[in-house]
Amino acid sequence: MNGHLLSILLFLPLAGLIPLLLIPSDQKRSLKLCANAVMLAGFLLSLLLVFQFDAAAAGYQFTENAPWIPSIGASYNVGIDGISLLLVMLTTLIGFLATMSSWSAVEDRLKEYYALFLILQTGMLGVFISLDLFLFYVFWEVVLIPMYFIIGIWGGPRRLYAAIKFFVYTLAGSVLMLLGILTLYFQHAQEYNVYTFDLARLLNTHMAMGAEQFVFWTLFLGFAIKVPMFPFHTWLPDAHVEAPTAGSVVLAGVMLKMGAYGFVRFSLPLAPHAASEPWVVNTIATLSIVAILYGALVCLMQKDWKRLVAYSSVSHMGFVTLGIFALNYNGIAGGMLQQINHGISTGMLFLIVGVVYERRHSREISAYGGLAHVMPNLAVVFAIAMWSSAALPLLNGFIGEFTILAGAFAANKLWAVLASLGVILAAAYLLWLYQRTMLGEVTHEINRKLRDLSLREWAIFLPLIAWAVWIGVYPKPHFDVLDKPVRAIVERVTGGAR
Amino acid sequence: MITSTHYLVLGGLLALIGTLGVLTRRNVVVILMSIELILNAANLNLVAFARELNQIQGQVFAVFVIAIAVAEASVGLGILIALFRNKETVDAGEIDLLKW
Amino acid sequence: MLPALALASFGCVVLLLEFLLGKARAAAARQWILGLSLTGLAVTAWTLWAQQQALDGRRLTAFSGAISVDGFALFFNWIFLVASLVTILISYRYLEIEGEEHAEYYGLILLAQCGMYFLATGTDLVTIFVGLELMALSFYILVGFLRGERRSNEAALKYFLLGVFSSALMAYGFSLLFGVAGSTRLKDIGTAIQAGDLHDPILLMGLAVTTVALLFKISAVPFHMWAPDAYEGAPTPVTAFLSVGSKAASFALLLRFFLEPLGALRDAWQPLLVAVAVLSMTAGNLAAITQTNLKRLIAYSSISHAGYMLLGLVAGNETGLQGIAVYVLVYTFTNLGALLVVAALRSKGAGRGTEEDLNDISGLAQRNPAYAALMVVFLLSLAGLPPTAGFIGKYYIFLSLIQTGHTVLAVIATLYVAVAIFYYFRIVKRMYMGEAAERASLISSSLGVRVALGITTAATIVIGLYPEPFLRFAEISLLR
Repeated sequence: MNGHLLSILLFLPLAGLIPLLLIPSDQKRSLKLCANAVMLAGFLLSLLLVFQFDAAAAGYQFTENAPWIPSIGASYNVGIDGISLLLVMLTTLIGFLATMSSWSAVEDRLKEYYALFLILQTGMLGVFISLDLFLFYVFWEVVLIPMYFIIGIWGGPRRLYAAIKFFVYTLAGSVLMLLGILTLYFQHAQEYNVYTFDLARLLNTHMAMGAEQFVFWTLFLGFAIKVPMFPFHTWLPDAHVEAPTAGSVVLAGVMLKMGAYGFVRFSLPLAPHAASEPWVVNTIATLSIVAILYGALVCLMQKDWKRLVAYSSVSHMGFVTLGIFALNYNGIAGGMLQQINHGISTGMLFLIVGVVYERRHSREISAYGGLAHVMPNLAVVFAIAMWSSAALPLLNGFIGEFTILAGAFAANKLWAVLASLGVILAAAYLLWLYQRTMLGEVTHEINRKLRDLSLREWAIFLPLIAWAVWIGVYPKPHFDVLDKPVRAIVERVTGGAR
Repeated sequence: MITSTHYLVLGGLLALIGTLGVLTRRNVVVILMSIELILNAANLNLVAFARELNQIQGQVFAVFVIAIAVAEASVGLGILIALFRNKETVDAGEIDLLKW
Repeated sequence: MLPALALASFGCVVLLLEFLLGKARAAAARQWILGLSLTGLAVTAWTLWAQQQALDGRRLTAFSGAISVDGFALFFNWIFLVASLVTILISYRYLEIEGEEHAEYYGLILLAQCGMYFLATGTDLVTIFVGLELMALSFYILVGFLRGERRSNEAALKYFLLGVFSSALMAYGFSLLFGVAGSTRLKDIGTAIQAGDLHDPILLMGLAVTTVALLFKISAVPFHMWAPDAYEGAPTPVTAFLSVGSKAASFALLLRFFLEPLGALRDAWQPLLVAVAVLSMTAGNLAAITQTNLKRLIAYSSISHAGYMLLGLVAGNETGLQGIAVYVLVYTFTNLGALLVVAALRSKGAGRGTEEDLNDISGLAQRNPAYAALMVVFLLSLAGLPPTAGFIGKYYIFLSLIQTGHTVLAVIATLYVAVAIFYYFRIVKRMYMGEAAERASLISSSLGVRVALGITTAATIVIGLYPEPFLRFAEISLLR
């Protein structure tokens, strides 16, 4: 079994589709139980990865390789290193929690709902473990389709617009990325006369600068739209706001990471020269800083709670891309950790909005006020999520953003100064949000009747809080697993490849 | 002396007249007749070339084209009659149910 | 030659069996006719299989070079077979609903397929022309088969006029080519073109007119006007057959023409094809956005598909040509599947008012979840998203463009995938997020529809997930 741990993990959600589809649609409880059980099994299974993972070993672990389409050189090639390990764990955990959070929030067309989440889960896991670019691309696209339906069917009032905008926007990026992949594939064949999509072999390709730049920029567009980087972020507020809670959690918690992961796994190693040209680095860093500041400023103006959280994602993912394109050890390691942090903290923030929305059916910040009196437990959870997102010491966000800033400082002092402005703004908009919704007197009588967190809801938040505190207090295990892969990437981009 | 060139020019003129007819006339029957003109231009070419090259293939081709032209005309008129039964017109401009 | 004989003889027999139906239209007689048509297809399949075995990678010519049975021709013939099989399977119930149960219908389908056989195998102008007309004449009648319905009449007339016009142009072009080469064999024409003066006005005129006629047949812009009308007005099973069978046959002809006699003139026609391909993708995709009739939408999308296939010819390398073969194969199954779902929407209760537009499919996911889900698969495949078959077709086309350095074309072609998703998902939106229409009724499928749906779905998914055997199969189709 251990030889195929990744495959089992990958296809478990798909296998879960079979019993799910066999349950009659009117047995809602069984449907929910089935989906939750599959997701929980996936999470527990992924814990095995953590115990068996060897942080000291270089390269990929748990690898599996089987021929798939030999005539074009595509194979079923999967494996994980430290970077993917963290993301796989994040995916299985967030996927499970998102499913669990839908228990009472979604009552309509349950079978389709959970089926789509299961497909989505396989797609996301596939993206993070593929070591073959063809396979990677297939999973990358597979993720889009269930998300379109989740937003479009169970979303808010403007769901149809948001769903198709999300789909077309990200698809345009990913088809261009396909061109980049094909160019690389062809360049490799020119050099070695072998057609292959195997990442390890494609890494040996030596391209002319023009071809490498084409590869870099097409991949960049695909990933940047997914992250999303400024100015490609316009799909994000719509999609996040209109999606149902679980959809927003998965979008923000996992799917945005696919872009940042793509930068680190593919863009940098495959096109190191194009990626490390000063003008390229400066452009991308500038875009990241604009995203940090712009996202934060827009947050300050939001009247809609969920929209605020959505824009805070733009800001926080700006830190991640800034760290990556600082192109040094601290920057990349910090970026990789920060995207886990963002998954945890933004996941929590969206879940909190979901909890409140489920009870009150409004996302207007002005509809709330003084909730701490009515829902003290929620107030505590929200405070932790907020501090984690605002980078308070002893919580995860601080570690990630501090490391990124250290990396950015080493690359360019101005970047670090501007980015730290973003940290201050983040504290401002989050604290202000907290003040307006939780503190003070209860402003609307109707809010007095709101129930506090149920046991199930506590169970959703607890693992996230635990992980947040773990990273905040003792981040070393995380940096340990990141160490080897990040070092290899930095060396490839700055040293060895030059 | 009438050379192949004369036939070719005549064929070209017939094809041109036929094409212009298809593009400008509105009566379906006249359009059909224009198409027949183009087919006859092709026949003329085929036979002329066959004579010049002393080749039987061209004449055989012409016979096929004539047979096909007849089949086309019968199918076309059949369709036109079916349409005429439902809507009494042969004017291509009034055939307007299908539009984008 | 045997497959054509089988098709022609079964076609004629079925055609003559109309009297069996008589006034009573006995169910037994109808089933006999259906059975006989299917037997005809089975015999054809068997003869094709025998030829495939006998061929073994070689190229057989017959009738002193008038037809050539090679891997290329057989590949396309298998596609025609699938197209008519699926069409016949879904037609039985459809004709029942329309009240037009005539044996001619099946006879004409078999005869049309016989014409396609000659289009794919023909290497002589006369054979090609006769085959083309056999196919086209059968289609004119099939498109207008619903005699009582004006949309069907109109579609048939429009298709007929433009079709005959393009055929006449083709005959004229052929006559000039014959004059230049002194022979009707494609091979001799190729030799004459290579040896001859490229500025010979007769040759240029002949090539130009023939090319226009070929572009008409594949419904490439700017010669596409007939397609939306014919697709919309025809009975839906005929639309399915027309959109895949006729298109595949015309592409077979176009490929043979451009690769064999015109191969030497590549530099001359390549820019022309680039323009036509880009125009087809642009006009097809953009016009499809505003359509509300499902068949019309698919018609415009099929125009854009013609553009994609032409791109493979623009690239012209081995990947590109194999890409066209894979694309045609994939497009056949997928487009058949999508139109099959549209055909199944037509039910007895709905009556003649049903126009197969977006309202009819609205809320389908609630009424017939399985059909809606399959439609999504077909639409994803048409758009070219993995893991469906359509992606494999697009993959080859894109790769061939990259290999031959047509980067700008590749970028245009890929971006139109996003446009295509936009209009294909208008359908999905209505199925999953629309309210059910008043008059919409449940799909009552027949065995034939279910079998046909099984074939198309299985192919769309299997080619998407495990394309290897199909890619090997497509390799034999390369003209060597």
